[in-house]
Amino acid sequence: MRASLLHAVRAAASPAPPPWQVLTPEEAADLDAIAAQIIPTDDLPGAREAGAVQFIDHALATWAADQRPALMGGLRDLNREASRRWPESGRFATLPAERQVSLLQAVEGTPFFQGIRFATVAATFADPSWGGNRAKAGWRILGFEDRFLWQAPFGDYDAEG
Amino acid sequence: MPQASTRFRTDEQVDFVVVGSGAAGGIVAKELATRGLKVVVLEQGPRIEPQQFEHDEFKYFFRSAITNNPALQPQTFAPTPNQDAKRGAGMLLYARLVGGGSVHFTANYWRFHEVDFAEATKLGPISGTGFADWPITYAELEPYYTKAEWELGVSGTPGPFDPPRSRPYPLPPLPVKASGVLFERGAKQLGFHPQPTPLAILSQPYQGRNGCQHCGFCLGFGCEHRAKSSTLYTVIPVAEATGRCEIRPNSYVRAVDVDPRSGRATGVIYFDANKVEQRQRARAVVLCANGAETPRLLLMSQSSRYPQGLANSSGLVGKYLMFNGYCSVGGTFERLLNEWKSVAASRMILDFYEADPARGFYGGGGIDARFPGYPFGFALGGIFGSLGPDAPTWGPAYKQLLRDSFSRTMYLAGHTTSLPLATNAVSLDPTLKDAWGLPALRFTYQDHPDDLAMQRFLQSKSQQILDAAGARRTWLEPVQPSTFSVHLLGTCRMGTDRRTSVIDPTHRTHDVPNLFLCDGSSFVTSGRGQPTCTIQALAYRAGERIADFARRGEI
Repeated sequence: MRASLLHAVRAAASPAPPPWQVLTPEEAADLDAIAAQIIPTDDLPGAREAGAVQFIDHALATWAADQRPALMGGLRDLNREASRRWPESGRFATLPAERQVSLLQAVEGTPFFQGIRFATVAATFADPSWGGNRAKAGWRILGFEDRFLWQAPFGDYDAEG
Repeated sequence: MPQASTRFRTDEQVDFVVVGSGAAGGIVAKELATRGLKVVVLEQGPRIEPQQFEHDEFKYFFRSAITNNPALQPQTFAPTPNQDAKRGAGMLLYARLVGGGSVHFTANYWRFHEVDFAEATKLGPISGTGFADWPITYAELEPYYTKAEWELGVSGTPGPFDPPRSRPYPLPPLPVKASGVLFERGAKQLGFHPQPTPLAILSQPYQGRNGCQHCGFCLGFGCEHRAKSSTLYTVIPVAEATGRCEIRPNSYVRAVDVDPRSGRATGVIYFDANKVEQRQRARAVVLCANGAETPRLLLMSQSSRYPQGLANSSGLVGKYLMFNGYCSVGGTFERLLNEWKSVAASRMILDFYEADPARGFYGGGGIDARFPGYPFGFALGGIFGSLGPDAPTWGPAYKQLLRDSFSRTMYLAGHTTSLPLATNAVSLDPTLKDAWGLPALRFTYQDHPDDLAMQRFLQSKSQQILDAAGARRTWLEPVQPSTFSVHLLGTCRMGTDRRTSVIDPTHRTHDVPNLFLCDGSSFVTSGRGQPTCTIQALAYRAGERIADFARRGEI
């Protein structure tokens, strides 16, 4: 836990992405692109700004180490499918957005995609001590305030009685 | 801050070992210790003090911080006994720390009604099930319901369908939430009778503890304010203050020790914090380890004297496993509810509590307006707050939906009866072991069709209520076969006939005169939901009875 917190603090403070513990730069770029399609950036931060790749990299280096082979295998399969569909193109991260989305739609039901979705959602919305949800970006998307101390009335309908 | 505690030597023959320090164990220990008896409480989990509790969903729900961890204590599941039970296919989840389920429960606190104890007499048997009356009545348990409410601290106002009570609630209800206001609006339009939800949460200061601070993190979390009325900081410190009670955490009991000649219990064998085997001697043993672990422990205690497990001459240890049905309808509204603040549920209806044969199926239940979600769980979807089976799960529409819905959504949850089936059971897996080398828990469970019919019935009423309340959008969570539960009931049922029950009406096992048990496993019927209230009333009654037996030399 402490290592995770220190890692998150360093990641938030540095202007450039830290060296990855487990991921290659290409894998990191692909995962960043997938995460950005799962929870995109619009007028509010998305998974990218929340630090999805930092979260995943740290998880694979620690508590989720046993999931590394499956995740890397899935990423290889995804890139293989991209080359099959568009032989002239490069890795997933370099594809135009529409192609990224269509490829992800094709693998939506797979354990690989469900695993990355789980990780992306955790990275965005879980407690920042796990390495993601930087600057509480995920909680801002939801409108959740981590104050843990409230008084009635709590919403509009109970306020009006 | 725990005071300097009494410590007993393992080779000292204390009066009682209590296994489990949770909703029942904490109360039984206190009832025994305050009557002059020496008690060691063995808890498999750690002792965590309230100031150490955290609101970290990932740690608590996905890393098993205070619950049984499937990586260390795996379970196998199949719907029926003649199918292969698979690891990870189902789970009986329980809190694993001093205070047990009373630390992390939602704290909804419903008494049984009179009918719950005598429904088989009223409706007749239901073929293919173990549907039966309790050997005790509501009237016999009522004083102990009252004692639990006043001694632990429960907030509420009786509703129109409530059973009789000898005293009012000690504390007024928690403030109504937006979900409660909307629920009342819709329910009243349809002619139903909304009432405040009774909660084992202090609505104001009581017995030196603060009232609820509305943090919004009840279900699955400990309460750092001590406003949720857990045994951890109510009865357990009272037991310890007698100087006759030791709470020994990180002590995982693997068997009740038995003298093969007399057949009596002589104590328990457990793994200490270093996984070293220890034996605690005692004159009697009370199992309060929850509806999954109590039967498992009895089965693991088999010996040449008791080849089919301890206290199991009936063959019913582990059998008649019951959950409560749980079904959900979601609704989103125009303006802000902010249901992620404060307690989970503030209003409910019990208009459908009674079974009605005219419906064509057995079942009864209640509906409450609640929000079981937290940020990560809500975004993930699933039991912590789904956005509906047709909702987008990734992409720009998903993000927009999360943003629009988190503070504008509520759920109506239906809570129902579960019928007891002999094929629904806890047993020992023949091959899989846990991290201590003990047989893993295996369970089989298949809902009776009436249980599912009752859930769908309440869902239909719930959707009508949400529509009447003006929901913009509603969705039904599909009612699926149960593979997971936190309400673990029925597995060592109470009865007067030793051929068809495991314990007698005083919680003494029929087979072993100095072995007792009291927790959700004692239940004969499931009730309509929120079993902790009844578990705790039973524990107060059992503790008093068992102490009387001890003092009269009748153990």
